[in-house]
Amino acid sequence: MNRSARAVSALILAAVAFAPAHAQDPRLGNPLDAPSRVAINALIDSARAQGIPTEPLIQKMNQGVAMGVDGPRIVAAVRTLTREMATAHRALGTVATADEIQAAASAVHAGVPAVELGKIKKQSGLRRSLTLPFTVLADIVSRGVPVEAGVNAIRSLVGAGAKDTDINTFQRNVSGDIEKGAPPAAAAETRAKAVPTKPDSAKPEQL
Amino acid sequence: MPEWGGGRTTLEMIVQELQRPVAFDETFERRVMVRVRRLHAERRSRGWVAIASRITHRPGWAAALAASVVAVVTLGLMRSRPDSARQGGAPLEPVQFVLVAPEAHSVAVVGDFNDWGLNDSALVATNHEGVWSVTAPVPAGVHRYAFLVNGKQWVADPSAPRATDDDFGMPSSALVVEDSTR
Amino acid sequence: MESSDAELVTRVLHGEVNAYGALVSRYRDRYARYAVHMLGNREDAEEALQDAFTRAYRSLARCEEPERFGAWLFRILVNRCRTSGARRVRRGRTFVHDEAALMRASQEHPAEQTMWREEIDRALGELNADQREAFLLKYVEELGYDEMSEITGVGVSALKMRVMRACDRLRTLLREVHSA
Repeated sequence: MNRSARAVSALILAAVAFAPAHAQDPRLGNPLDAPSRVAINALIDSARAQGIPTEPLIQKMNQGVAMGVDGPRIVAAVRTLTREMATAHRALGTVATADEIQAAASAVHAGVPAVELGKIKKQSGLRRSLTLPFTVLADIVSRGVPVEAGVNAIRSLVGAGAKDTDINTFQRNVSGDIEKGAPPAAAAETRAKAVPTKPDSAKPEQL
Repeated sequence: MPEWGGGRTTLEMIVQELQRPVAFDETFERRVMVRVRRLHAERRSRGWVAIASRITHRPGWAAALAASVVAVVTLGLMRSRPDSARQGGAPLEPVQFVLVAPEAHSVAVVGDFNDWGLNDSALVATNHEGVWSVTAPVPAGVHRYAFLVNGKQWVADPSAPRATDDDFGMPSSALVVEDSTR
Repeated sequence: MESSDAELVTRVLHGEVNAYGALVSRYRDRYARYAVHMLGNREDAEEALQDAFTRAYRSLARCEEPERFGAWLFRILVNRCRTSGARRVRRGRTFVHDEAALMRASQEHPAEQTMWREEIDRALGELNADQREAFLLKYVEELGYDEMSEITGVGVSALKMRVMRACDRLRTLLREVHSA
């Protein structure tokens, strides 16, 4: 290891050494009634033990507090999110990032079976992240695109090597078409075909 | 005494009437201070964007050293702001939020990236003829957020995907921020 | 003992954001009057004054004479009122009288006083913005011409002309209403 790299490593180690040891997140002291706080603490501890990201749970709590929702309803929402992220985590496997798990959980919440998300993950090959595709899948299904049509559209986009910009454009076009009165399934199927297929992502039978 | 010519009595009475005290209600000061505190919080987080933008496009070991400086500074800032401890120190990317709301008196952006505006951390948007906007550093990753209009109305971003977990009966949106340093 | 403007500004610049509240309290009512008369309605006036306080906070490090924070803030408010007034013209809104002041006036004074106040507001609205601004700064806020020039960026002789024309116009509009 050369001198520069050693210096960098030392700096990073120093930063980590001074990072606080694991302790309760101070945001958990927010203005919630005591029983709700206790319940949410327990959910977060359980999530942590299962390897499920805890930050989305804390933010779900913050969202509820900011919106003036009562404690028990916040607890219910955090419990639901914990369950959905656990489901997504099991489906995606250990290689999934925290963001992918959170995005997949939103798709599960919208009604997409977790097993379909797992299939998309397996087929994604070299794609860097499925966070955006899962987020868009959740969005279009919530706008009325049938689950099967939505899954097929996203699977074909991911399989074609579509970039995030293409997937963002797809989401805007589908939502725009639906707002103008298009049948949601037709909008999703049509717009998915518009994304160009990259030559290096062609299926073997097309070569 | 006014130095105009005839009609002094009329104009003196005008001035006397117009010089009566005018008071805004007692919530005026509170509303100003809410805006000021938000600016204060925004100013503190804006320092992170300046750091992130400086470290891009530097080759080799300099980038590694700069990245570690960001990690140290980010962790340091997390310590000084215990109410927003983030896991992992994800890189920050500037994101512009826009809402067209000509009749609104105030628009703020709150979401996962600023603890939903708790502890006065909401991002206050600027109005340009009914187009409200604010640009802020957001960590790479996925976030839920919403616009808060006039301090009480929750509005989803019409140009963004919906956040489907509408457990609280109020709309919100999903934001995916790419890590541009990769 | 009350803190001076300079002391409060220094504390705010050192990160004590709550010290700014004392400055807001200190100047709120003083400048509310100008904003209401300049813009003709309380809602726009509140927005302009809130905006002025916010902008002043944002640019506080550029306030070269913290002991004259009030004058510096007033300059910002005058500009905000100009922008707000221009926006109102584009939107086609009319200059309406101050409802709250009228209500107070009607409670405290006989009916003819309320009518007189309405006439004043109407007449003030008939002035163009430059004349109204100059008249309010000179006679209602009782500033000297040098101060007015510093705040508005307009030369003294031009300001004197605007004040004179404003007085003539108000006198004409209101002479027939009021009789000694």
